[in-house]
Amino acid sequence: AGGHTTEILRLLSCLSESYSPRHYVLADSDKMSEAKIRSFEQKRAETFSESQFSLDRIPRSREVRQSWISSVVTTLYSTLYSLPLTYKRKPDLILCNGPGTCVPICLSAFLLGLLRIKRTIIVYVESICRVETLSLSGKILYYFSDYFIVQWPDLKKKYPKSVYLGRIV
Amino acid sequence: FRFKDSLAADLQSADLVISHAGAGSCLETLEKGKPLIVVINDKLMDNHQLELAKQLHRDGYVLYCNCSTLVETLQSMDLTALKPFPPGQPEKFASFLDKALGLQ
Repeated sequence: AGGHTTEILRLLSCLSESYSPRHYVLADSDKMSEAKIRSFEQKRAETFSESQFSLDRIPRSREVRQSWISSVVTTLYSTLYSLPLTYKRKPDLILCNGPGTCVPICLSAFLLGLLRIKRTIIVYVESICRVETLSLSGKILYYFSDYFIVQWPDLKKKYPKSVYLGRIV
Repeated sequence: FRFKDSLAADLQSADLVISHAGAGSCLETLEKGKPLIVVINDKLMDNHQLELAKQLHRDGYVLYCNCSTLVETLQSMDLTALKPFPPGQPEKFASFLDKALGLQ
């Protein structure tokens, strides 16, 4: 969604073609990200002609300020919904940066890892907006990710297992 | 204008930008090298939106005020005191990831 999409496309901008094919997962209610992604991929295809990507949508796991209890239910629903998609794609790497959409995807990948079906590396990059506190997605995925990247030093102090590389978007 | 697809053209021709504290607005403006005054609306805003605006102000990249102090800020501002905003470095991320995944 919005700012998250812009940030993640910037993160992708310097990645080599080893990171291919790219599977994008969006919330079904997201209207603007698809255009940004297609535009990014189109530009990329100008340099890397073999470039491949796909787009999938999952139910939005949480509305802004949705209550805690109903969020757990909707996130669980989205996680179950994501399982067949994650199973189909069996990603080697999941890269996410905080929209609610990423939690169900990461949880489904984590589950598939526990079941020994596919071990996916989960890399989470907290948004540049987060200077002193983590987003809710961040607080959850801090425990489930293989690499947790923050963009401000205060967060590195508070979350010692995180990686601090400075501003990367 | 209500919602344009992109404010890039308007930003390019502006001498000063006055904006809310949304990250996208702040960063887009700073990256174009335009002086920025961030206006905080205490009543509407999510606390976390303030974090970035405060930090950018602390680091000397933006001026900062609320609705009632905007006029005063405009009258007394010194835009030359603002520091240029260095771009983010996604190449550091790429390099980190390559190493972490053994792809070097």
